[in-house]
Amino acid sequence: MNKDVKEPIRKKWIWIGLVLITLGNVPWYFSDSMVEPYVFGFPLWGFIILVFSIILSAYLSWICLTQWKIVEDEEEANK
Amino acid sequence: MGELTFAGVDGIIILSAFAIIMLVIGYFSGRGEKNIHESLSGYYLAGKNLGIIALFFTLFATQYSGNTIVGYAPTAYRTGFSWLQSISFMTIIIGVYLLFAPRLYVIAKKRNFVTPTDWLQHRFNSKGVTLLAIFLMLWGLGNYLLEQLVAIGQAVSGMTGGTIPYQVAVIVFVFVMLAYEWMGGMKAVAFTDVMQGIVLLVGIIAFVAGGIYLAGGNFGSITQFIAETEPAKLAVPAAEVNINWLSMLVLVGLGASIYPHAVQRIYAAKSEKTLKKSFARMAWMPLITTGLVFIVGIIGIKLFPGLEGGDSEQLVGLMANEIASINSFFYWIMIIFFGGIVAAIVSTADSVLLSFSSLISNDVYGKFINPNASEHRKVMVGKIIGIIAIFGLLWVAWNPPGTLYEIFVLKFELLVQVFPAFVLGLYWKRLDGKAVFWGMVIGAIVAGILTFTGNKTIYGIHGGIIGLALNFVICVAGSYLSSTSVKKDPVLEEDMNAVNL
Repeated sequence: MNKDVKEPIRKKWIWIGLVLITLGNVPWYFSDSMVEPYVFGFPLWGFIILVFSIILSAYLSWICLTQWKIVEDEEEANK
Repeated sequence: MGELTFAGVDGIIILSAFAIIMLVIGYFSGRGEKNIHESLSGYYLAGKNLGIIALFFTLFATQYSGNTIVGYAPTAYRTGFSWLQSISFMTIIIGVYLLFAPRLYVIAKKRNFVTPTDWLQHRFNSKGVTLLAIFLMLWGLGNYLLEQLVAIGQAVSGMTGGTIPYQVAVIVFVFVMLAYEWMGGMKAVAFTDVMQGIVLLVGIIAFVAGGIYLAGGNFGSITQFIAETEPAKLAVPAAEVNINWLSMLVLVGLGASIYPHAVQRIYAAKSEKTLKKSFARMAWMPLITTGLVFIVGIIGIKLFPGLEGGDSEQLVGLMANEIASINSFFYWIMIIFFGGIVAAIVSTADSVLLSFSSLISNDVYGKFINPNASEHRKVMVGKIIGIIAIFGLLWVAWNPPGTLYEIFVLKFELLVQVFPAFVLGLYWKRLDGKAVFWGMVIGAIVAGILTFTGNKTIYGIHGGIIGLALNFVICVAGSYLSSTSVKKDPVLEEDMNAVNL
């Protein structure tokens, strides 16, 4: 296989990372008292979920740009 | 949406301006391009030549509809901070795309696919699978289109203060949409999406700014107010809410990425580079779209406390009235914003309609009724049946359902059943057509029965997900049982090694 070819499905770590971030994105791991303190107007748990949402966006965006390259070189060469 | 006191003639002016801009864009997209009407991929996929700006905005404007604002803000208002899930369930869609889009893009380019069904037909070569998938996809698209038609009418008659009645509003915008789509196909849809997407984004940002200003200029004070009056909306969600949250992530992620019009945007990309850059940007959009809409709903709790059920659905209109009365700058921004909502609904409806027509052209007519017809004729048949379908759905739309969110889940329940065939088929040679067929049938029946008997969720898990799980099990088990050895199929071997070509 051509070493320059990158396909996300073939990289297990991408999906393990995605599952971990997704689990962090669902607020199942908070105790009921984690409403306070408020951070930027968000209850503490909500703020942490927001941070995970930002991580999720950054992660997926980064994966798209760096871990996906199947026919790009060929296509760009034919331009 | 309630009657907006700021609306009326000014609203009509802005709406007319938007309608004219859409028509002009449609006219210029179709002009001088004879190819558009002569070939399926020319009309339905813009010649597979969408560049980064058009592709990004068409992904954006199609995925985020007017409902995303008009329906999600009240949900945030009613449920509080647990509606933060709307950010992640829109983001996760990109993660699901990454499961299949990279390879599907390569195969689709190579084999010249027009519709998602082309892939299934190519992969399984089974009439049953193809027909069933067409049925599920047309069902999902039809339902989605219906929802958009209902929403257009509500938004326009709200915006014009009832000056333009519901039915007239829908008819006018449906004609505008049909006209530009007829002239320019996917190219017109994508180019109008650029304008529609920009207006929507500007509108949401202005809306949040106005809302925070009204609520005292400080988001912290809003939370303070909620803590004093309705602490439940700030509380850590209960276990069932969390299960439902996770189930939403799975359902929306799998469902929205497999939408026929979404898949066709993968086909329509000019290059892999364009596609991945568009997705990379899309991954950030939930934060400034559903994220800001969530904030709108939360601000609403302070500005209009105590709205229940149907009344809370009026939230966006109520807030817009207040924001418009701040000063004349906000007045015009709010009118443009409401125009933007209408534009956003139209931009979703046009994509769905185009996809609907393509399934009729390429799959129903082109595969089963008259495979030897010219591409020009196939395109024509799709266009005309699309128009007939629109008027059929309009007839249904005159009795709009109560809450938008209800239908939103229903359409995913069935559509998502195509997922195993679609994605598992890309990577697993052994996956067998018969197993896929029965998986889809049983998954769809289970999902449908659960939904229609009022058990939309069981312990917070959506009926569609339960059906899907069963569907997956049948696909996998059935494939192992049905054949002892995998036949060597040269075409399949080639697809499975698309990356090596």
